[in-house]
Amino acid sequence: MARIVVITSGKGGVGKTTTSAALATGLAMEGHRTAVIDFDVGLRNLDLIMGCERRVVYDFVNVINGDANLRQALIKDKRTENLFILPASQTRDKDALTEEGVEKVLDELSQEFDYIICDSPAGIERGALMAAYFADAAIVVTNPEVSSVRDSDRMLGILSSKTRVAERGEGPLPAKLLLTRYSPERVEKGEMLSVDDVTEILSIEMLGVIPESQSVLNASNAGMPVILDAESDAGQAYRDAVARFLGEDRPHRFLTTQKKGLFGRLFKG
Amino acid sequence: MNAHPSPIQPIELKGRMILVSILRLHDADTDQLNEALDARMREAPELMRDMPLLVDVEHLANTPAETLTQVIEAIRGRGFKLIGLQQGAVAQSVASGIGLPLIVLGGKGTEVPLRAAPSPQAEPANEPSPSVHKESASAVQALHTASLVVNQPVRSGQQVYARGGDLIVLGTVSAGAELLSDGHIHVYGTLRGKALAGVRGMTGARIFCRRLDAELVSIAGHYRIAEDILDAERGENRLVTLAGETIVISEI
Ligand SMILES: Nc1ncnc2c1ncn2[C@@H]1O[C@H](COP(=O)(O)OP(=O)(O)O)[C@@H](O)[C@H]1O
Ligand SMILES: [Mg+2]
Repeated sequence: MARIVVITSGKGGVGKTTTSAALATGLAMEGHRTAVIDFDVGLRNLDLIMGCERRVVYDFVNVINGDANLRQALIKDKRTENLFILPASQTRDKDALTEEGVEKVLDELSQEFDYIICDSPAGIERGALMAAYFADAAIVVTNPEVSSVRDSDRMLGILSSKTRVAERGEGPLPAKLLLTRYSPERVEKGEMLSVDDVTEILSIEMLGVIPESQSVLNASNAGMPVILDAESDAGQAYRDAVARFLGEDRPHRFLTTQKKGLFGRLFKG
Repeated sequence: MNAHPSPIQPIELKGRMILVSILRLHDADTDQLNEALDARMREAPELMRDMPLLVDVEHLANTPAETLTQVIEAIRGRGFKLIGLQQGAVAQSVASGIGLPLIVLGGKGTEVPLRAAPSPQAEPANEPSPSVHKESASAVQALHTASLVVNQPVRSGQQVYARGGDLIVLGTVSAGAELLSDGHIHVYGTLRGKALAGVRGMTGARIFCRRLDAELVSIAGHYRIAEDILDAERGENRLVTLAGETIVISEI
């Protein structure tokens, strides 16, 4: 049976899709058979970031409607073994994802995969709820700013009641936080919330802190998950996060301003 | 005409908070509805009669206005305290005919799964019969029967109501979250949201919190919003009480 993990946030543009691509790739690199599903009906971002947009034939909605079977719709990643992508539909019909349909697809994927990563659309409406409903765990993606943290808080509340796990009375959906686009410089200037602020407000375990990094933009322009860029700070931070997700204990990195060490700050004047 | 202005203002405006219940109608079948209303009233006559009620008719889009009017009359006729219709498209079309104002209730609070099933003693059915001291008597009695303990953080958009007792929250209460209690409220994390104690009139209700940074605190309908809570009053180990008509925040 696969473990279903939803990548969600409430707010848009915080790094859900970037994270879905990185986490799915990272898990596959560790040898876990992984499928990543784009729930963002009408937008289709994941296939671009995974660099497989030109190989899309069928999509999630086609499978739900019975126009294609899963084997036809799943795209095998060219760079990473064990990794498959189920792209979102371009359809404008947001109601195309039915609960029964989603459940059927997830059940079928569960037979074959170790992990199913669900890339949620923004918002707290139907699409986001559908992406989260069948999950066994959630990763809530947050940026270090007040409105993003507030939305994540709201999403955490929803996850504690509007998921299958919660409805079965098995308690709130287990959720961890991924703080992305973190800029230590801006935190020091007081323009952004710090890791401690965010942890304190949300009272939830921190899976990782991903620095704000040009490498993310470069990778996404190249159609490559940033985790494959082993040289980059963001790539390394995502690797740490995947290791922690798999139970390893790793210290958080990239939390303080680079180059300017302790002395730099002490003698800043 | 009096040439000198009277020192007494002709009107005085005072803010108070009340707890409003929403009665959502799912079906306009009059017989079924009457039956359900009667059952509710039998269960908790005092509670139902005391509680200001807002009617939500948005699920009855296909019901003719005439039937809706009858339905509302049926509710009124049973002694429910109707204060208005919940704002919405259906309500808009019938409100003037029914003679009830449209009221917007901010934020559709998320259903919270945290609510413990009330213990049998807490059922208002065996409340003492009405007497002058009814309120305080039943409140005191209830305190020992229906305390609600919440083990998780209460998050933005969530609402927890401890009916007939105290509310005890072990985690933090986020900005945008709301705690309601007929009795006291205890928060063992940081209180950043709203906390309303004694919502059914218990003036002796208190709010205790490990750290207070609230958006609003209220006791028995008297309240202070964030803007009126001084920085010095925010901080660790705070106690909120009602002294006369004033909300007092002090250190424990
Ligand atoms: N760590 C980061 N550093 C810099 N830019 C980032 C980072 N994470 C995400 N971005 C950028 O932010 C934008 C939104 O990211 P995306 O993953 O599409 O968010 P979402 O799926 O939540 O809408 C993209 O342009 C992406 O390249
Ligand atoms: Mg996205």
